[in-house]
Amino acid sequence: MLIRTQDLWKIYEMGREKVNALREVSLEIEKGEYAAIMGPSGSGKSTLMNLIGCLDTPTKGDYYLNDKLVSQMNDDELARIRNKEIGFVFQTFNLLARATAAHNVELPLVYNGTESEVRKRKAREALKMVDLEDRATHKPNELSGGERQRVALARALVNNPALILADEPTGNLDTKTGHEIMNIFKKLHRQGNTLIIVTHEHDIATYADRIIYIRDGAIEKEERKKN
Amino acid sequence: MHFLEGIIIALRSLVANKLRSVLTLVGVIIGVMTVIAVVSIISGMNRYVEAEISSLGSTTFLIRKFGLITSDEQWHEQVKRKNFTLDDMQAVEENCPDCWKVGAEAFAWRKVKYKNKHLSRMTIIGATANITEIANHEVYEGRTFSDFEVEHNRRVCFVGWDIKENLFADEDPMGKDIKIGNHHFRIIGVAAKKGAFLGDNQDDFVLVPITTYEKLFSRHFFLMIFVKAKDFMSMQDAMDQCRVILRARRGVDYNKPDDFAILTSESVMDFFRQFTQLALLVMGGIASISLVVGGIVIMNIMLVSVTERTREIGIRKALGARKRNILWQFLVESVTLALVGGMAGIIAGALIAKLISVASPLPASVELWSVIVALLVSSSVGIFFGIFPAMKAARLNPIEALRYE
Repeated sequence: MLIRTQDLWKIYEMGREKVNALREVSLEIEKGEYAAIMGPSGSGKSTLMNLIGCLDTPTKGDYYLNDKLVSQMNDDELARIRNKEIGFVFQTFNLLARATAAHNVELPLVYNGTESEVRKRKAREALKMVDLEDRATHKPNELSGGERQRVALARALVNNPALILADEPTGNLDTKTGHEIMNIFKKLHRQGNTLIIVTHEHDIATYADRIIYIRDGAIEKEERKKN
Repeated sequence: MHFLEGIIIALRSLVANKLRSVLTLVGVIIGVMTVIAVVSIISGMNRYVEAEISSLGSTTFLIRKFGLITSDEQWHEQVKRKNFTLDDMQAVEENCPDCWKVGAEAFAWRKVKYKNKHLSRMTIIGATANITEIANHEVYEGRTFSDFEVEHNRRVCFVGWDIKENLFADEDPMGKDIKIGNHHFRIIGVAAKKGAFLGDNQDDFVLVPITTYEKLFSRHFFLMIFVKAKDFMSMQDAMDQCRVILRARRGVDYNKPDDFAILTSESVMDFFRQFTQLALLVMGGIASISLVVGGIVIMNIMLVSVTERTREIGIRKALGARKRNILWQFLVESVTLALVGGMAGIIAGALIAKLISVASPLPASVELWSVIVALLVSSSVGIFFGIFPAMKAARLNPIEALRYE
């Protein structure tokens, strides 16, 4: 089991009021799965994504990633887990504007102390996987939206993470480009990667084998594609 | 993350914000520039003065009625003291066993004439023959006067370069008679050119036998006695003996302080150092004010930089940067900023020192220690004023940082 959460709670205190962003979420995702987390805005899907992505810790409950209890870890341990186990893809790409595509892709390797030569080679390979080797020296503002998201994908892949976590990856792209990106995800899944996509668009969610619906901070229902 | 990686990331973002980086550095540049320029000038001066004074030698001292005067009161008190006479010198010579050589010097200002040309306010120095062993009078041609000439009040003189250059443009001065005030003297030697020291011309003198001087120009006979001790070890004894002899001759009560001063090259140098230390202190004040201001500007710009790059910090944290990676990145950036400022300041300060030494009589030399101090101080400024913004960046919550617009 790659991901196992047990009765996850996330409670925010807004002044005197307590907001239950997540309530008793128990979820299991296996290695090699392709799952989508769907829900309207304010449903708690972003909170869940932050927890799964180890960007945040739950108020209550346990979260095991690769059989490691990450819900009790401190900031630096979480940073290490994010670096090693998780590749992020964001709606707004989140590339460093001043750095070239290649340098952006290298960044996760910088933080685990990979040597410069190895970083360059791995970054080249990752860019090749998303068909962007010829754009390696371009900066983000010289790339189209679709190309930027592919750079972000290459960055997510470069460290060979256990999990690729995409938050609305097509949200800033036109429909056609969005589907191109989703096709790359499909390809990555076929190569054995574990993918979780957070979205509010149903036709994007249907690319996944499994759709988890979130509403009001709790899992509402689940659908699995029949093969 | 590797050390070098941090520096490269910092330098990249410095280069990306060129104008801002330069504006930020003005304070540090001015601070460091002040330190380097002032230290260079003062140490250049110290060296020059030290060389000048130490030509006196470590076994020579000087006795005169004036000490090193630093106030009006001192002057008013000391001007009333009795003048030394040639008899005093004689007494020292005869009664001080540890004094190896004793000489004397006095000076006044007079007009010097030759044919229809003249020079006003030349320094007329009356001296004993052995003055050449104490003061540095390099001979260009001819000779200085002898003991015999001093004993017999001869009207001979040894002239500075200005006399030769201005009064004897196309004539040989040797053996010619010049008029000092109203008296004729024969030139027996010319001194080599010395140049100016701290704007003071050193070539406008005429050296005459002190006996002749006493007779002809002695209205205010302000005599200084030079003593050369046998060796460095007997210097203190020689000074003590002179003190006893002179106190007795001048009738100073046993419970009263000396009414004359004994100066060594060391005491003159100390006196000079007091002034330069004061200058260093003032400079230190100015420099530290501008360094603090420069540091605050750096802190301010680093805070702006942290806010501007909140999202970048979020991205880096999401990708696995730890607190210390972020702290390091921003700290390296502020230290790099301050160090670049420091280096610019060193270059500017050295240029100013060079310019001053070229355009004015002040000598200057850039000291290695001041360069090292400048680099240390500017990197400390970078650390001190960079730590707060860097900690702020390191503490950012990755989720909020990623959401930052």
